[in-house]
Amino acid sequence: MNQVVSALFWVSLVLVLTFITLPLVVVMAASLSPTAVVTLRPWEWTVQWYGDLWTARWLDPFMLSAQLALIVSIASGVLGLLAAYVVAYEKCPGHAAIMSFLLSPLAVPQIVKGVAIVLFLSSAGLYNWLGTPGLIAAHIILTLPFAVRMIATAMFNFDKNLDRAGQSLGASKMDRIRYLLLPIIKPGVFSGMTFAFIISFNNIPLSVFLVRPGETTLPITVINYIEYSLDPVLAAVNVASLLFVLGVIFIFEKIGGFSAQIHGGSK
Amino acid sequence: MSVLALKADKRRPHGPSRVQQFLPLFPPSLILLLFFAIPMGMMVGLSFQQSDASGLTLASYERFFSDQFTLMGMARTVVMSGLVAICVTIMAYPVAYFLARSKSRWRALVFALAIAPELAGVVLRTYGWLIILENQGFINNALIWLGVIAEPLPLAKNMFGVVVGLTHVILPFGILSLLTSLQGVDPNLEKSAQILGASRASVIRHIVVPLTVPGIVSSMLLAFTMSASAYATPAILGGAGFKVLATMIYEQVLFYIDWSFAAVMANVLLVMMLIVALIGTRLEARLHQKLHT
Amino acid sequence: MKPIYIAASLLASAAFASPTMARDLIVNSYGGPYEQIIRDAIITPFEQEYGVRVIYDAVGSSSQDYAKIKATNGRPGFDVVVMTASQSLQGCEDGLLERFSPDTVPNLAHLNPEISAVAGPCGAVHELQYLSLLYRTDMVSESPQSWLDLFEDDLTGRVILPSFGNVMAAYLTQLMSVIHGGDLDSDIDPGFEAMTRLAAQSVGFEQASAILESYIVDGRVWAMPFWDGRAQLLVDSGAPVDYVLPEEGSVPLIATLNVPIGAQNKELALAFVDFFLEKTSQERWVEGYKVGSARADIEVSDQAQDRKITSQADLDALYLPDLLSLASNLSAWGERWEREVVPAAR
Repeated sequence: MNQVVSALFWVSLVLVLTFITLPLVVVMAASLSPTAVVTLRPWEWTVQWYGDLWTARWLDPFMLSAQLALIVSIASGVLGLLAAYVVAYEKCPGHAAIMSFLLSPLAVPQIVKGVAIVLFLSSAGLYNWLGTPGLIAAHIILTLPFAVRMIATAMFNFDKNLDRAGQSLGASKMDRIRYLLLPIIKPGVFSGMTFAFIISFNNIPLSVFLVRPGETTLPITVINYIEYSLDPVLAAVNVASLLFVLGVIFIFEKIGGFSAQIHGGSK
Repeated sequence: MSVLALKADKRRPHGPSRVQQFLPLFPPSLILLLFFAIPMGMMVGLSFQQSDASGLTLASYERFFSDQFTLMGMARTVVMSGLVAICVTIMAYPVAYFLARSKSRWRALVFALAIAPELAGVVLRTYGWLIILENQGFINNALIWLGVIAEPLPLAKNMFGVVVGLTHVILPFGILSLLTSLQGVDPNLEKSAQILGASRASVIRHIVVPLTVPGIVSSMLLAFTMSASAYATPAILGGAGFKVLATMIYEQVLFYIDWSFAAVMANVLLVMMLIVALIGTRLEARLHQKLHT
Repeated sequence: MKPIYIAASLLASAAFASPTMARDLIVNSYGGPYEQIIRDAIITPFEQEYGVRVIYDAVGSSSQDYAKIKATNGRPGFDVVVMTASQSLQGCEDGLLERFSPDTVPNLAHLNPEISAVAGPCGAVHELQYLSLLYRTDMVSESPQSWLDLFEDDLTGRVILPSFGNVMAAYLTQLMSVIHGGDLDSDIDPGFEAMTRLAAQSVGFEQASAILESYIVDGRVWAMPFWDGRAQLLVDSGAPVDYVLPEEGSVPLIATLNVPIGAQNKELALAFVDFFLEKTSQERWVEGYKVGSARADIEVSDQAQDRKITSQADLDALYLPDLLSLASNLSAWGERWEREVVPAAR
């Protein structure tokens, strides 16, 4: 009986992992196929489409998306830290209500948030904000709940006894925050920032309303391209940006060391 | 208590300042207020307006609720999101369990695979599924070549295709929610039960699953909310006849340019999600109570 | 702490730097193959003549562009936009688009007055296409002559249709209505009845032109309605396809240049519109994008003359819809399409 259960478990695990990998393999094969017809014959594959990526058409949007995602992840990290500090560390009065306010953007579909922000900015006469500044603000709204949630979890896990020990040794509040709290919650902050980066880098629904002419993000460039032609360069863009995001995660992990948290450190 | 409050204590021993305690909350709240709360307020207001009439009106809501077509779209949204919530949770469970318990060196690879879908753009991932599922796609071609079927199976351009695509998109979130929950269950509990003679199956049924009910509920809620507001996947894999609230909202915003009607649909979607969240929390509390009495 | 400084300066530069120089003109149009053609035929010559830089913005279809103009109250960030006559009329009515006059855009005087009137005072017609019948030369034994050929048995399961989110669907319904005894606006029932029958024989619907054309290129379908410009590009690409203007006639797609009311570089925008309507520009555009022109005085190759709308006689073969009434009908027709036509396909 136990063997049956265990075999079932392994079979289902393998099936699920196959399910996850399948479309990614297809996209990779598409990026290597000579024409829009995807081929699974490796001897026909070519890397020519990757060469096409080194043009302003793809590099400019890529640069904008990368900068945007960096700014958004840092801003969400800082703002999320401030909010989580009050809500999870200080446990201010009404912290549960404040927390649900901070998480509320999650419940609203993105296109609605996008239209709402554009309508607000233009009816308030803030036309200069339509474009990259509005894009940054909108992406922060989108990513802040994720950052707050992850940083707050790390703060909840912070051992208050450490703080008390520091206090009895005469460390000032600022010192305790700087030398005790921040290093310990660093992985939480960086995992929140990584999430923010990925979400911002891949976003379409909010960006579609806020990109300014001449300053288009990579995903928007991709969907515009699809409207007019379907060639393998799109798949190449996708694979290349996947590798880029993996690189970013790797760097963030090096700085923040959050995999310890994901891999079992958190509860 | 903040630094400043400590200093103030020396001069004025009674009560730290409440205002200072809230001070760090100011920047994030301001951003949320400006770019979320106020714009959303405007959006709700818009749903009670009509371009050709002044004053507030319920006309757009009447139009929504008296129309079989939009109601069908709403029902389709609920069914689709419910199916995805179930599929995601069932499929995420073994992966999360493996990640929470295994010490093997494959763990890092499985983890990377588990979150990989999230790293790729949604549009092309969805096209990947289209290539696999469509009438002349890989699956149908393979089955026809093998002689299993004569006519292609309708795998894309319908509910099935959309549920497959959405499950794939949302699976990483389900895995992460369940993982957090499973890591909270003490592995020794399972070991002691097995030492006491419980079978693998009954350990899972009577210990692991009940203790991870909060994780299961949160995974289902997250999957439901995310699928109900997803646009690209239903639009690409659903085909022309497959209209859900999110795709209808896009059409009203971008094609028909009727924003008051779009706002109505958005509000309906929002209320629907709140109701589901409420049911989920209630259910979780009920199950929690049942398990602990 | 260095990354923090870098990030702070990035944030500052993103928030405060003005995105473009004052002299730059921002033109919004379509992406893909279109982009290269418009650059070669119009934008580069314009830049040379005026000594300015044009920033090309490929974001959005024409209805998305219009949604953006409306949301921003006429300040979408671009100075010139390519849309269609429907949006020109709507935008003029809503006060979101600049009105042109012979003083600001002298070349307007050379356009066919009938076509100009359809687009209204805010739209400068820079291109005309007609709905053609595109077919596979290697699959269809004799070339179709009539729209009714789409209904023939040998094309059952070999036709793809646009979804209603593509404006081609509304035009096709109007055309079918005329062919089946109705008219373009009020008596549309025959059109819907015909489209429902056609849908039952089709493989389904797609919205994006790129996806629609992929169906005929890889042979999944053998015939479909398509605008003649892109149809010609397909023929030129070497695909085994050809297209005809069926004997019953067709409807035009009247593409227009528009200037949003809040355009930052309005003077240059008007100069660009006028430049696009120049005789030589129109000739380059007709040869490059394989479309027709509303200027009757252009001199183009025989092939273009033959197959594109270049003369009064060509125009007479087309039904000119009343686009304002189309705009007001669009929502109702859309609902009807989803209820009657779409379900028939399965």
